[in-house]
Amino acid sequence: MNPLRPSAALLLFALLAAACGAQTIVEGRVALPKPRAAPVMNKRYGIVTEGGILSTYPPTAVVYLAGVFPRPASLPVRQMAQKDLAFFPMLLPVQVGTRVEFPNFDDTYHNIFSYSPAKRFDLGRYLSDERPIPSEVFDVPGLVTLHCEIHEHMRALILVLDTPYFVMTDTDGRYLLSGLPAGKYVLKAWLDSRTTLERPVELIGNSTLEADFP
Amino acid sequence: MKAIRAAAVLLALLAATLRGADDFIDTVDDALSVSAWQDNLRARLSGSVDVEGYRFQQPAPSLYLSGGDSLFNPRLSLFLDAQAGAHVYVFAQARADRRFDPANSGAEFRLDEYALRLTPWDDGRFNLQIGQFATVVGNWTLRHDSWDNPLVTAPLLYENLTGIWDIEAVHSCGTLLLWANVGPRPSAAFPNKTRGVPIIWGPSYGTGASASGVVGKFAYAAEIKNTSLSSRPETWSVAETQWSNPTFSGRVGFMPDGRWNLGFSASTGAYLQPAAQPSVAPGSRLGAYRETLFGQDASFAWHHLQLWSEVYAARFAIPRVGDADTLGYYVEGKFKFTPQLFGALRWNQQRFSTVLLAAGGSGRWGSDIWRIDAGPGFRFTPHTQLKLQYSIQDQDSTLRNRSGILAVQFTARF
Repeated sequence: MNPLRPSAALLLFALLAAACGAQTIVEGRVALPKPRAAPVMNKRYGIVTEGGILSTYPPTAVVYLAGVFPRPASLPVRQMAQKDLAFFPMLLPVQVGTRVEFPNFDDTYHNIFSYSPAKRFDLGRYLSDERPIPSEVFDVPGLVTLHCEIHEHMRALILVLDTPYFVMTDTDGRYLLSGLPAGKYVLKAWLDSRTTLERPVELIGNSTLEADFP
Repeated sequence: MKAIRAAAVLLALLAATLRGADDFIDTVDDALSVSAWQDNLRARLSGSVDVEGYRFQQPAPSLYLSGGDSLFNPRLSLFLDAQAGAHVYVFAQARADRRFDPANSGAEFRLDEYALRLTPWDDGRFNLQIGQFATVVGNWTLRHDSWDNPLVTAPLLYENLTGIWDIEAVHSCGTLLLWANVGPRPSAAFPNKTRGVPIIWGPSYGTGASASGVVGKFAYAAEIKNTSLSSRPETWSVAETQWSNPTFSGRVGFMPDGRWNLGFSASTGAYLQPAAQPSVAPGSRLGAYRETLFGQDASFAWHHLQLWSEVYAARFAIPRVGDADTLGYYVEGKFKFTPQLFGALRWNQQRFSTVLLAAGGSGRWGSDIWRIDAGPGFRFTPHTQLKLQYSIQDQDSTLRNRSGILAVQFTARF
């Protein structure tokens, strides 16, 4: 699989939207924090294979439109994988009610758990051949911090949002949120567990609004 | 019923308080990580705070050293993990506590582990490690830290003192039986508490070098250390060396499908310290008196269940007595009832062989013993947990046949 780079995807999406007809769009840029250093693995009493590969994840933000919106009857299943002793993606925004699967692509055990108030669970230890793929339904809005009981450096976040309108920025902080309903809302940009920026927006049908988060 | 409700309320209050503290621990965690040279050099300082309490009957069992019936044992452990690229790894562990094993003594600060590990190939087929570090024998060392041990104490065979001393060789079978508390004792004095040794002393952080690796479903590890597996913590450091009589240990592991991890271990090394030289026959070398050990270990994990087991057959070659054998084993399980609540149960047993007595006949050179360890644990947050343990042990001993141990341990890691 060779996914499009986020900036290319945004451009493609904008072109497709233009080709299909005008719609309400918010776009802009979020000023992102500096990238953090890759974690250090604890290998004191075990031999961690894979050459100590550590994937670094540049910071991204989640931009979403806060408001009261009808919930769909069903939502697509999302995935958060474990590969090379790291979660991928490291940050996953989902709508309330979404089922998230946690496939293990490593050749060793993982044990994902969360003690977050928004979702408390422990999937136990499982390998890549585990079927069905262990999953959880995230039915309460909030931030869920994921850990692996075996590999203490592994961390990931699931941001459970009570809105269908959200998007992750690219690594430069650019975003494009389309197909939005007209009206007055609050546009929010989630940067980390302690920082959520917000600004009021008034969306007019078939128009594009520029909204940056400095 | 009231007590259960009160305990539940107390746990809920504690959980709420600790959840707030967890953000602070995360912040500390971030602050204690550094990187340089475009992330090629990364280091992290982490640690744990253990607050333990024990309640037991005299004489204090196992390695506990206290004249009273209870013991308070706080401990601060600091870990340094550093990586230079993918091929160089350094770690160290320092502790501040009252003694390596729980004791009613003054505070001390020790550097328990430090090692440099070189991994030339990315797939981990070969690692060379030099320093002072836990033994490669068995599977207990992988989970001996308080956070990873589902119970408070170590398995019995890692802490049950035998009648063998490392600072002095016995003069006869009768002395060995006396030191082992087998048969009548002439007085209440019991020096064995500070002189006897178990089959393996805790994680056995001896000094030396190891080669290890993983090749497909197989793992191997071999080490040369300055002390035998039974040696006490005071002998582990490079300053207390017995390099004239090194200990050789190894383990071969097989992981058939990831759920199982099976291992075979062996070790041989001189167990008498240089201080014991005057007590052996003139002209005898300490290296002739060895602890030789063969062991098997197995672990299994699936979903919320984890099982571990180890069995060791150890032979001590004793001056003027001959070979003294002992067999120790345990079977242990942990099950998570909820994401935060778990329970653990461990069955331990150690048996001793017979030795020929000078007066004729034969007798066991130690008191056969069994012990059951059981208790619940609760993880309030990813950084804090509380464990309780009750143990009951039965020993065919002149000191006490049956006794109980109550232990509680709170751990906060950062």
